[in-house]
Amino acid sequence: MSDVIATLIPAGENSFRLGAYLGRGGYEAARKTILTMKPRDVLEEVKKANLRGRGGAGFPAGSKWAFVPQADERSKYLCVNADEGEPGTFKDRAIMTQDPHLLLEGILLTCYAVGIHTAFIYIRAEYEAIAQRLEAAIEEARQKGFLGPDIFGSGFGLEVLVHRGAGAYICGEETALLESIEGKRGMPRLKPPFPASVGLFGSPTVINNVETIANVPLIFRYGADWFVARGLPRDGGTRIFGVSGAVRKPGLYELPVGTPLRKIIYEWAGGPAEGQSIKAVVPGGLSAPFLTPEEIDVPMDYESLAHAKSMLGSAGVIVIGDRTPIIDVLRIVARFYAHESCGQCTPCRIGTTWISKIADRIGAGAGTSGDLDLIRHLAEGMKGKTLCPMGDAAAFPVLSIVDKFGQELGEPISR
Amino acid sequence: MVTIQIDGRAMQAPTGTTILKAADQAGIVIPRFCYHPAFEPEGSCRMCLVEIEDLPKLDLACSTVVREGMKVWTSTPKVLQARKDVLEFLLADHPLDCPICDKAGECFLQDYYDKHGRYASRFLEAKEKKKKKIPIGKKLLLDRERCVLCTRCVRFLRGVTGTGELGVFKRGVKAEIGIDEGVEIRNNYSGNLVDICPVGAITDGDFRFKTRVWFLEKKRTVCPRCSRGCNIIVQSVRNYPLSGRQRRIYRIVPAENQDVNGYWICDFGRFGYHDIEDNRLTAIAVNREGPAEGRLPSWEDILKGLAAEIRALVDAGRASSLAVILNSSLTNEELAACRKLFADALGVRSIFFADPKPGEADGYLLTADRTPNGGGAAALGFSPELPDLEKLAGAADLLIIFGPHLLEHYPAEKLADSLKGIRRKYLLAAHRSGLDALADIVLPTAHPAEKKGSFRNVKGTVQSFECAVRAPRGCLPEGEILSRLASELGVKLE
Amino acid sequence: MSFSLTAEGAKRVEELVRRYPRKEAALLPVLHIVQREKGFISSEAEEWVAATLGVPALQVREVLSFYTLLRRKPAGKYVIQVCRNISCHLAGAEDILKYLEKKLGVRAGETTPDGKYTLMAVECLGNCDHAPCLMVNDEDYGPVSRDAVDGIFMGLT
Repeated sequence: MSDVIATLIPAGENSFRLGAYLGRGGYEAARKTILTMKPRDVLEEVKKANLRGRGGAGFPAGSKWAFVPQADERSKYLCVNADEGEPGTFKDRAIMTQDPHLLLEGILLTCYAVGIHTAFIYIRAEYEAIAQRLEAAIEEARQKGFLGPDIFGSGFGLEVLVHRGAGAYICGEETALLESIEGKRGMPRLKPPFPASVGLFGSPTVINNVETIANVPLIFRYGADWFVARGLPRDGGTRIFGVSGAVRKPGLYELPVGTPLRKIIYEWAGGPAEGQSIKAVVPGGLSAPFLTPEEIDVPMDYESLAHAKSMLGSAGVIVIGDRTPIIDVLRIVARFYAHESCGQCTPCRIGTTWISKIADRIGAGAGTSGDLDLIRHLAEGMKGKTLCPMGDAAAFPVLSIVDKFGQELGEPISR
Repeated sequence: MVTIQIDGRAMQAPTGTTILKAADQAGIVIPRFCYHPAFEPEGSCRMCLVEIEDLPKLDLACSTVVREGMKVWTSTPKVLQARKDVLEFLLADHPLDCPICDKAGECFLQDYYDKHGRYASRFLEAKEKKKKKIPIGKKLLLDRERCVLCTRCVRFLRGVTGTGELGVFKRGVKAEIGIDEGVEIRNNYSGNLVDICPVGAITDGDFRFKTRVWFLEKKRTVCPRCSRGCNIIVQSVRNYPLSGRQRRIYRIVPAENQDVNGYWICDFGRFGYHDIEDNRLTAIAVNREGPAEGRLPSWEDILKGLAAEIRALVDAGRASSLAVILNSSLTNEELAACRKLFADALGVRSIFFADPKPGEADGYLLTADRTPNGGGAAALGFSPELPDLEKLAGAADLLIIFGPHLLEHYPAEKLADSLKGIRRKYLLAAHRSGLDALADIVLPTAHPAEKKGSFRNVKGTVQSFECAVRAPRGCLPEGEILSRLASELGVKLE
Repeated sequence: MSFSLTAEGAKRVEELVRRYPRKEAALLPVLHIVQREKGFISSEAEEWVAATLGVPALQVREVLSFYTLLRRKPAGKYVIQVCRNISCHLAGAEDILKYLEKKLGVRAGETTPDGKYTLMAVECLGNCDHAPCLMVNDEDYGPVSRDAVDGIFMGLT
């Protein structure tokens, strides 16, 4: 299904090396673009391509870049979000492992468009091997003049630093990521102001996901129209869908935006695991509301999933089979958010642990009849009222489990 | 200015201000834990969420800037539910300490639950257990179970004192406030932490378990321990417990005054409340031959006697052998009376000052000058000077000393010797000291908190204050003493 | 101060600090260097880092306490992180964890008395298509079965 030439995850053991990348036409788009186009026009082209963020929020990349004041004299920064903490998500790992130069070329184009000369790749600490591969790729690129003070002899300079996290999912939230780079606890910031005006070290900052940035060179290699045509009019390009859980062929599948979920699960991932049927599906990373087996005909694009009261998020598809008690799922979901809550704001700090305690109690056979309503009440108490989106992330899946699988949850309680 | 509506009321608000500030100005109180006007909005407690017309989600009043035409609603069902939820979250892990917690009666959680909560608790789980009596410096104790992580304390120590002794450790529900090992809070503003903590997480050993705040009478006055003139509120209990004691001072807290001390007072001033109570002189003492023996001298007797002695000297043309030692803790009114009576009416020229020695200024509120009214004395034309003891001993026949501070400036023996050479010494003081034994007659005076008057502070601002606590029976303010003395002498003070 | 890194470590810290627009931003990277060299971050190390970067020692401690992978106490030679999130759970992570606890004789979160292994139950490692997965120091393993676990351990000296 994917265009072999234009994939984000090339095959081959040495695909990550600069020589292999150049053989695929690497850095040509950047050279041509930087030497012949104005930054403003580069930005417009990305807008035209309708490239939406692939980290979870789906915000149009070009529009986000346009928020950075062009005339601002202060240093500006790009932070590439390689924290990849959303459970069920493992696509950025593959891009960075197999095509680090694609990411670097994307960073180069992005920074050129916005006027940025220092970029950070914030990568989770557990991806140490990948961090080292990125650092090696950066060095390769610098040697060839694809990064550094005078790229392609254009006068445009860019330095890229790889910055490791230290084990905190919340640092995948863009403002917590900034705090973490600044040497502080990863606590999200109040917005406004937004990072485009007050970001890293108080300066205008763009934060984008790895996959988002990795798509940028393709837009300039093949054109914005080509990019849009690969996906949907308001949501261009492909998505790398990560499928895991109770399926026969877990893995990464790069498919056009809008591919139906059922197709992804059954035609690409081989359908549910041997001897199991589908009980529930997470469509976009654990923070997306769960879908029932009846709901998996939904096309995988932002609008369609929003309409289905879920979200595309990080496109991490997790299939839960009928062999798994839903209470286990609830416990794991609740425990995850309780563990990762930064503790700054009241509803998430208390709510996530409270829900986790109730879920554990139900799992231990000590549930009471008011528990599900209470969980619902607590999740509603977090929804829309927290300092950062993690409150919603903690609330949505829990609410969907209680609403859609309440009967199965209620069984141990009534027993 | 922009025009906005809060709860249907149209009002003007300064451009750039927040909803919460505009509401406060208009007397509409939006509940809050983490917001404090001294700091930038924090936005973490989520208690101040309000509804803004045409916006789908609730927004924080503390950090949302007003816009022209904005319509805010602070009591819609959505808002009321959100407040209840925050309280429910906070109280879920909050210990049932009210019966033993000093903050009861002035606790945000209690007050807000009463007003905005009133739900039945549904928490069936085990509460998070945390350490409860952590010494963090001076007499402060931190109780982590009570803490609601509003971080006011952390932000105070970072933003106001710049000393940063407190931090937030761990994360999630395990997040806790703490100090660095061995680096306790020692700065001169630690007492403010207790004031700003909205709950009983930070308490002061000085006040701990001593009383309940609803017994306290709160009266505003000016701190007399340095020349800053911080506005304070003296909190005392009258007639409780019913032991016959007239009053007891429990603590001093800041009164807000943006022109003088902002929201804060220093520890030196705060814990100076002990001065009001401890070591007081409460009875007239006569050391040598004086009025008729066998009868306790009354103010009337004493002042009549003093007036007679003064008159005798003045009539004999010996006003030059009258000497007065004043101090800069007297109010403007009292100093003015001194000038009118001693300098103008009686022609006394030996007028000196004995003040507490200067200390170290702390770079913020506490001044080196440890008197409240040095500025007032100067403005009234006094040039405060210590007396030359030998000259004084030689020249003076009758000496009136205000306050015990002579002792700070002269070694006790030298002082005793010099004073021996003076025939008659009156000491007017609020506190016992070694000077008592050196005077002939000791008259107990009031503490500035027990007086009405005014001080001129280091910036030249004159601040008037009322009596904040009643003086012990038997004590009189110097102003009252001067007034009666003048009356005896036929001098009009106006 | 009693704390110091090796010459190489100190050099790396120096280079790092130079590359960041602000010194304080090098905090996490420097803490990683310290932890890789010494196995954990001691109080003396905290103070050294604080002095090197011009940040309060309290801030270093605050940051240390926030992040799961930064340690104030020594860990084993091999830190084993077993994912316990959804996809791995569905593939049998709970059993793998129990097996490891029995094999090593410690509970998750603890270090073996001989100082060789630290076992941690962690959240999603981003390796979901190889569930159940685990990491031994920086190496990824997955999908692991009990046998595979035994195999991994045979290779750990």
